[in-house]
Amino acid sequence: MIEIDNLNKVYNDGTPQAFNALKSINLSIDDGEAIILNGVSGSGKSTLLSIIAALDKPTSGKVVVDGELISKLPDLHASAYRAKSIGFIFQHFNLIESLSVEENIYAPIVHIGLDIERIRDMAKRVMVEASIEHKADQSIRDLSGGEKQRCAIARALVRDPKLIICDEPTANLDRANSMKFIDILSRLHSRGKSIIVATHDPLFKSLPFPSRVIEMEDGVIVEG
Amino acid sequence: MLTKSSFLYFLTLLLFKQRDKHIGTISISIVIIFLLSSILFISSSIQGSIKIALESQPDFSLSRVEAGRVVDTPVEWIDKISDIDGIVDISPRVYGRYFYRPKEESFLVVGVDFFDEQNQKELKNLIDGIDLKDFFSRDSMLVGEGVKEFLAEHFYSGDFSFKTPTGKFKKVRIYDTIPHQSNLISNDMVVMPIDLAREIFGMSEDLSTDITFNVPNDSEWDTILTKLHLLFYDLRVVEKREIAKAYSSLYNYKGGLFLILYLITIVTFMLILYQRYSMVYSSEKREIGILRATGWSIGEIVKLKFYETLIVVVVSFVLGTVLAYIYVFVWGAPLLKEIFLGGANLKNQVEFAPTINMGLLSSIFLFYAVPLFGSILIPVWRIAITSPKEAML
Repeated sequence: MIEIDNLNKVYNDGTPQAFNALKSINLSIDDGEAIILNGVSGSGKSTLLSIIAALDKPTSGKVVVDGELISKLPDLHASAYRAKSIGFIFQHFNLIESLSVEENIYAPIVHIGLDIERIRDMAKRVMVEASIEHKADQSIRDLSGGEKQRCAIARALVRDPKLIICDEPTANLDRANSMKFIDILSRLHSRGKSIIVATHDPLFKSLPFPSRVIEMEDGVIVEG
Repeated sequence: MLTKSSFLYFLTLLLFKQRDKHIGTISISIVIIFLLSSILFISSSIQGSIKIALESQPDFSLSRVEAGRVVDTPVEWIDKISDIDGIVDISPRVYGRYFYRPKEESFLVVGVDFFDEQNQKELKNLIDGIDLKDFFSRDSMLVGEGVKEFLAEHFYSGDFSFKTPTGKFKKVRIYDTIPHQSNLISNDMVVMPIDLAREIFGMSEDLSTDITFNVPNDSEWDTILTKLHLLFYDLRVVEKREIAKAYSSLYNYKGGLFLILYLITIVTFMLILYQRYSMVYSSEKREIGILRATGWSIGEIVKLKFYETLIVVVVSFVLGTVLAYIYVFVWGAPLLKEIFLGGANLKNQVEFAPTINMGLLSSIFLFYAVPLFGSILIPVWRIAITSPKEAML
């Protein structure tokens, strides 16, 4: 369960360039719920996702996930929270170009103290789930946009997180690959994962699984 | 262990997959460590050679001065000097530079009394391998490596004829060479019996160039000097410790110049690295941002980069020092040797004796590793503490 209470985010706070990206956001997300954050660029969707994923800190307000106040976590705990509870799928995939698909997938878990065989097994499992196992040894540079997306999905799932966060996941994909992505999301939803997607792709208006659409505008929730 | 630990596996994977990035750093590092090690190896070896060469030298040498000019010293002074308590091993010496006019080169002719107890101690290394009976059967001399090579170039392989002040030539057999380890000082030296040297320089038997002696009790040195100055008003005394200081200063000065050049080079290199890791090298920044976004803590990122840098440093250090060792102690440091020992009258044949100690190696490691770690880990840490979102941009 995610509770967001009176959340504000001001970039360049205290300067003439101050920009209010989020204004008094209040939101509650149940376990297993799928949320579609809709809105134009600059409406505050990505900022809200970053704060929920503890990639950024709010200027004021609270984000509580499963009873834990994550908006004020020190780095060590915030990192542990990201590693265990969050699977983040970025718009530009954010993969390490010099590594292969498999290496990118297990990169987030090599520091947790498991032996390499165990970690490779975990990577193999999610590669199958994201239908990218046939490209395991391929360099990221040689992948298509859709393959990179599936690699990013597999990496997000490698620690079996409760919450999947996607920031404009289909912005760089064609329709066929976008549909495949939605299909994967559907399977994850059916397994009880909470999903938050920030997008302005109309494909997300008719998903094959129940979801709540939240409209954002100028840092404010206007509907949902 | 390497195959089991996923962290070490990932570390080696990154090093291998991003080898192009590291090869540049390692190559420049090897060159810098090689230069630094070579300079320190040469300096250290020279200091060792000076120590060996001066060990057998007398504590003091004394000569007569007339109107501020050094002149020949009366041998009868020995009797007066020997009256001073604490002075031992008093001995006359005859020496001077002999100019070989056709080539305008010179070498130092040193005449010694081979049967004098003090001289036997000083010349132990030389005398050990000599058949004295054979040596004295004819006029003979021992020559430094530089002198031997110089004479050989001018077709004097078995003997050499010195021109005496009377205009006659004195033929002297080249008996042997002076051992290598004292080459720093003896390279352009010729050692012969004292009477032969007197004949070549046209000196009478009651004169010497200087008189040498030892004072075993160091704390008495200043008192002895005072007594000598009371005894003779026309006196100049040179202490062994002054000679050692003069030699050390000469080579320290040259080593110091190189160290300044090294510092300039390393500061430049570290600034380039710092810049590269700070902002210019965006893939590095992005990689850190991605790892942070996927759950790596700041400490884990710094740990990864620390080990990565450690491997780069160790590989560079080992290769750089091994290459420097071969360059200095096996190949004799061509080019650098000329710079360090250049200016000598004859081409110096010094062979650098390996004098490596842990302190020296640690100094080289610290001189290099600390700035390198700083120039990589500080920007890495600065990137790691920024928002992963910003780092991934």
